[in-house]
Amino acid sequence: MPTVRLRDASEYPEPARKLFGLARSWFNHEFKEPAAMSRVMAWDLEFGGPHGRAMKRAMGPGEFTRAEKEMVAAVVSGVNACSY
Amino acid sequence: MVGITNALNVVADGLAAAPGGGALLPPVDEATADPQLAGLFAEIRAFYARPDVPAVFRVAARDPGYAADLWAATRRAFADQRLARRLKEALAFAVSLTTRSAFGTPFHLGEMRRLGVTDRGVLEVVGVTQTFSSYTKIADTLQLESDMHDIAPVDDSPAPGGPRP
Repeated sequence: MPTVRLRDASEYPEPARKLFGLARSWFNHEFKEPAAMSRVMAWDLEFGGPHGRAMKRAMGPGEFTRAEKEMVAAVVSGVNACSY
Repeated sequence: MVGITNALNVVADGLAAAPGGGALLPPVDEATADPQLAGLFAEIRAFYARPDVPAVFRVAARDPGYAADLWAATRRAFADQRLARRLKEALAFAVSLTTRSAFGTPFHLGEMRRLGVTDRGVLEVVGVTQTFSSYTKIADTLQLESDMHDIAPVDDSPAPGGPRP
């Protein structure tokens, strides 16, 4: 159970909801509620905004494809024993 | 591949190269090694295109039979198959960097470069490793429950070589 109360999308101001739309496009998936991580990152847009942009920069296709980078992300999450 | 990478790192970091230079369990000396290790060592040198056998395999070589099986598993995990060796080395580099392996990080970085990954490619892997090391810690600290598992269909592909259910 999360150690903090995650706000519903409707509780966030408009700029944060815009971030949720970007996350929906990134994952190409219609979430019932924005993913928990998106809602956490939207608490402070001055942190979550650049953090998310850094992630997208890192995950975009380059010398490695997006799919290959998803594998890198998966193994990093795995060795960090992160079930999220 | 993740498992064998960690397995090699654990022994290399813990035994083969102790802080201060010495080894807690000295690797077999290639020059004076048991002749039955010659073929194994030659294969390892060829696989990594280097003149020496990495110390982690020479520690294992204190038991030649164990070393042969460890090497067979390592070679199988890292050889080109459905995933290219270049990508597997990138994954092993990410695993080693994340687990702060003093052996694995430079070893797999060297392999990535040898297989043609440029500075840009290395930084891409570093970027993904860094950002997901952030996300995972945030998720763990806040004990977030996974809500991303249904964004893609279940993949029932078998393990390499295995039968499809």
